[in-house]
Amino acid sequence: MSLFKRDWTAIEAEEWTRHDVWASALSAASFFLTAIGVAGSLLMQTWGFVALGLAIVCVWVMFRIIDPKLRAISTDFEAKEAAYIEQLDRATRWEAGDER
Amino acid sequence: MAQAQGLVHFSPLDWMWTVLFIVLMTLCGVVFYRLGKKSESDFFLAGRGLPWWLPAASVYATHTATDTPMWIGGMIYKWGLRGIWYPFFAAWTAISAFVSSRIFRRSLAMSQAEWQGLRYSGLGAELLRGWLAGWQTFMNMFVVAWVSAAMGKICAYLFGWPPWFGVTFFTSISAIYVLAAGYWGVIMADFQQGIIAFVVITLVSVWGIGEAGGPAGIAAKLEVLGESWRLNPFHFDGFWGLDVDHFYAMDFITLLVMATIGGIGMGNFIDWYPEAQRIQSARTVRDASYSIWAGGMATIFRNSFWAVAILAFYVMFPGIGAEREYEMGWFRLGFEYLPAGFLGMFFAGIIAIHLSTISTHLNLGALYATRDLYHHYVNPEASEATLVRVGRWNTLFLLAGSFLLGLFMQSITSWLIFALWLQAAGIWVPSILQVIWWRFNSWGYLSSWIANLVMSWLVVWVLPELGLLPELPNWASFWLLAALVSLVYLPVTFLTASDDRAHLVKYYVMARPLGFWGPIRREAIRLGLITPSGDLRLEAGR
Repeated sequence: MSLFKRDWTAIEAEEWTRHDVWASALSAASFFLTAIGVAGSLLMQTWGFVALGLAIVCVWVMFRIIDPKLRAISTDFEAKEAAYIEQLDRATRWEAGDER
Repeated sequence: MAQAQGLVHFSPLDWMWTVLFIVLMTLCGVVFYRLGKKSESDFFLAGRGLPWWLPAASVYATHTATDTPMWIGGMIYKWGLRGIWYPFFAAWTAISAFVSSRIFRRSLAMSQAEWQGLRYSGLGAELLRGWLAGWQTFMNMFVVAWVSAAMGKICAYLFGWPPWFGVTFFTSISAIYVLAAGYWGVIMADFQQGIIAFVVITLVSVWGIGEAGGPAGIAAKLEVLGESWRLNPFHFDGFWGLDVDHFYAMDFITLLVMATIGGIGMGNFIDWYPEAQRIQSARTVRDASYSIWAGGMATIFRNSFWAVAILAFYVMFPGIGAEREYEMGWFRLGFEYLPAGFLGMFFAGIIAIHLSTISTHLNLGALYATRDLYHHYVNPEASEATLVRVGRWNTLFLLAGSFLLGLFMQSITSWLIFALWLQAAGIWVPSILQVIWWRFNSWGYLSSWIANLVMSWLVVWVLPELGLLPELPNWASFWLLAALVSLVYLPVTFLTASDDRAHLVKYYVMARPLGFWGPIRREAIRLGLITPSGDLRLEAGR
């Protein structure tokens, strides 16, 4: 399965895959690089501009990897959401047990 | 009010800016009044239909409070640029956006306390829901109090107003639109306030840097002071040690691990609770993920602007010993150096920063008191109109309680380190375990909370005071607390039964958590609710 897979089915998107791992790692890296990148750039330090540039690259790659999967998950879940909310409200009113 | 005793004098034009802004904010309450009163879901989640950028702006605005520049300023002034790692805990949103936010959004729980009832079952789950709801009601009142205390301190500093006035006046303005429109008022006001805060923070910080001679001037003055190390975010006093006046690599590593890995869990940080509300108010799972990610990223951006501005303040005013004085550094840059005509705008920005945080926590505390305490335990058959009315009464209750607490708080930085970090230490791992491990049960999580509350006070305050334990650096306190609390929740988990299998299967099929859920997943497959490839077969509501 390509890291830049674009055509996710609902079944595939439900699973946790390496796409989630890569997106999370790149996301964390982008936050780290932004923290030092913005500070370093404001101080006109070379390392600041380099870090900020790398942060932008991380964000772009992260988005390319995870966005198609998130779209597929959202589309699939939206179809079931109204009924799930109704179920949740019944539980708050002590009307629903764990029956299935 | 003894304005002459304060730092600044406002011209009529400055007051006009301030009054205009206050009118604009209160109008939010009037405009969205009808939407807010439609239902409990509208009053607390804006009907679960927001595009990602609205909750994102709210995440940013909420976590930009009047106390935030004080405590970040305190950290940077004390530690130099390496102090930037203290507020880096906001980076938990980086991983959370694609892990815990996704799982939480799919659970559809209105609050974290409600999620506990979906994840766990039986008496333990109900106790946990009641405990978290009560705790969060109090904690939100506490947050409103300390942010109001910060506002009281700023107003006293600027205008010489008595602290009680600063504590109560602006917080009451926020209460007007929260009472009227609930979360609709919060989110719409936050959007405006977030933009205003971002512009003002950037403007004042850049102006302050310029006043210090620009980047070159800051570097040159630090060199003259023999403190060029302040420009290095990785300047550590050794790998590890127990001297509280040193910043070790272990401090950095602990903060990094805590922030990033913590994003897998739910409830590790005090910030999770307002974010959970924003996650659930987003219209789709994708919107929820991006709202948390973007809000967190904007917060990291903001931290760096403040950090460099405080370095500028440091080179202009080195050697301030009192925490109460140097934590006001960023405000001083604005009020002492901005040109005439900008003061009112700056103060409007400070009010925006203040109102955005206050409104969120008033509404959030009322959510826990209404949805999880009143609706679930007191009056399960309550109508939507009753729930909105109770939500408004709870908002008023939180407001009154916060005024009482706010008048007792003095030092902002110490309180925040305790609340944001140390008090989260013991529940940090359990908050991850409850997301990734099916066997972790409600008794384990409940015991970790209670043990953490007791031990954090003992380790941080009581035992050092009695001379029974040396005062430990923050990194050591964190890991010590994490280890001590694990001695409670791990035995409790294994000595008590796991949660009901059918309940866990139901939760798994709906939320699809990651991690060690093998037996539950196999059970779901056996029951035909999902296929090995992950096909969701459960008909909603069945």
